Amino acid sequence: MIPAAFDYVAPSTVDDAVRALSEAGEDAKVIAGGQSLLPVLRMRLAAPSKLIDLGRVAALRGVREEGDFLVIGSMTTHYDVQHDPLIRDHATLLALATDMVGDPQIRHRGTFGGSLAHADPAADLPAVALALDAEMVVRGMDGTRTVPAAEFFTDFFTTALRPTEILVEVRVPKMTGWSAHYEKFNRVAQAWAIVAVAAAVRVSDGAIAEARVGLTNMASVPVRATAVEQALVGQPATAESIRAAAAHAAEGTSPPSDGNADTAYRQHLAQVLTSRAVAAAAGV
Amino acid sequence: MKLEHSFTVPAELETVWQAVLDPERVAPCMPGATLTEVTGDTFKGSVKVKLGPISLLYKGNGEFLEKDDAAHKVTIKASGKDSRGAGTAAATVTLTLTEADGGTHGTVASELSITGKPAQFGRGLISEVGGKILDTFATCLAARLAPAEAPDLTVVKDPPASEPPTPAASTPAASTAAAASAAAEAAVASAASEAAAAVAADHAEAKETGRKAGEATAAHAPPATKPKLAPAPEPETEPIDLLSYAGPSLLKRAAPLLALVAAILAFVTLRRRHR
Repeated sequence: MIPAAFDYVAPSTVDDAVRALSEAGEDAKVIAGGQSLLPVLRMRLAAPSKLIDLGRVAALRGVREEGDFLVIGSMTTHYDVQHDPLIRDHATLLALATDMVGDPQIRHRGTFGGSLAHADPAADLPAVALALDAEMVVRGMDGTRTVPAAEFFTDFFTTALRPTEILVEVRVPKMTGWSAHYEKFNRVAQAWAIVAVAAAVRVSDGAIAEARVGLTNMASVPVRATAVEQALVGQPATAESIRAAAAHAAEGTSPPSDGNADTAYRQHLAQVLTSRAVAAAAGV
Repeated sequence: MKLEHSFTVPAELETVWQAVLDPERVAPCMPGATLTEVTGDTFKGSVKVKLGPISLLYKGNGEFLEKDDAAHKVTIKASGKDSRGAGTAAATVTLTLTEADGGTHGTVASELSITGKPAQFGRGLISEVGGKILDTFATCLAARLAPAEAPDLTVVKDPPASEPPTPAASTPAASTAAAASAAAEAAVASAASEAAAAVAADHAEAKETGRKAGEATAAHAPPATKPKLAPAPEPETEPIDLLSYAGPSLLKRAAPLLALVAAILAFVTLRRRHR
């Protein structure tokens, strides 16, 4: 199908975009890479009267360093994130996980910020943003504010973004020297994850000094497996100790049950995939 | 597809049953629904729901199949069609109220059937989102039914039907209680003071209109929090647009909404296949 008719605006600055959004009201929608929104429009599951395209706002693209943080523009494409040297060096987990998003065509058009703002519970990048303790910089008519990842994802497809706000950039604390792995489980190539695990560890002298573990599709929002993180600290980087720590992966979760997997299976998957992800990250 | 949900409201069975039949009390808890016509046991309306980027408008009708006052059981059948052709949804919903410790327990058994594009893809979020919507609804209902209304000291009036509804947190009840106790304290503690006299005078004057007394009392009471309606943590919906109608039950709104919830979730799944 083709989308229902809409007005189209392509501002070139963030301020223009924010103004356009607040003037347009409830029936407007921001479009970034369109990789999630266009199918919705095509299926006519939504028919916003106005689309505000951020594609021409150059200020929203690019990756830069700011002290202990990497600042990633929200319109940076997945392709650019995958190939950026700063991200590869200081936020390896993000580069690895972005490799697994969709397919090459999607990665050339889809954007980091767009994926986060869309907040699909089965999307890869929200769990990564959570594991990295990223901060979302959001701009609205009354100014800019920063929302930590732990507060940004509130529900299925729902974030802390107010209707007239735009995600401008994402601040990721540098994790130089950490090693990481994103373990994604699906039965159909390039499909959404049934369950996926984002793991980053800092190994020092053969032991795991620090760990971060984020889970995809274990709830309506991404989840941090804090029990696993705590169990890993100080443990030798061996398969057995990792597996023992990973047994806590499903603690406190109540994952959804659907045609792909039921709750118990997802909980089991979380443990197995966490073990694999952490082991791969730790080089075991 | 069958769904089972339940909720508990800390109010007596008969109160809940009557409330369920009193739209003024419960309608604001059902976001996004619009009733356009009510004729006896049948009704027509629409429900608008937004979930992330999706926005669906289901228009349809429904009817009461059964209303059992003795068993406190209501069955409603409803069906709707998305105005943009995304598909149809039909639901048969049975709500049963029973007494529970200190309150009323409600079980909702729904039978949903979805057709159209969404029906082709099953991501299974239907149960989850449906459950959450019902939880939100129940919390709102519980807050509105919480027995805290003091007859002469009602600071808060439920907003008139035309105002945008948002699920009320417990603040209406809380602030009513707060104002009541504050006023009582003020009256007792400063029996000889002018303030007390003023309050008493206001009370005496405005005895017939509980509201006025409430306002007067509120003026003397320490900051009675203006009831702040917290936004729904759930899928955003538009304000309900309530037109006049006679004695429709809460379920008249529940059914279209539930039917629609199924469709929304179906959307979520359809994207999978599309990728």
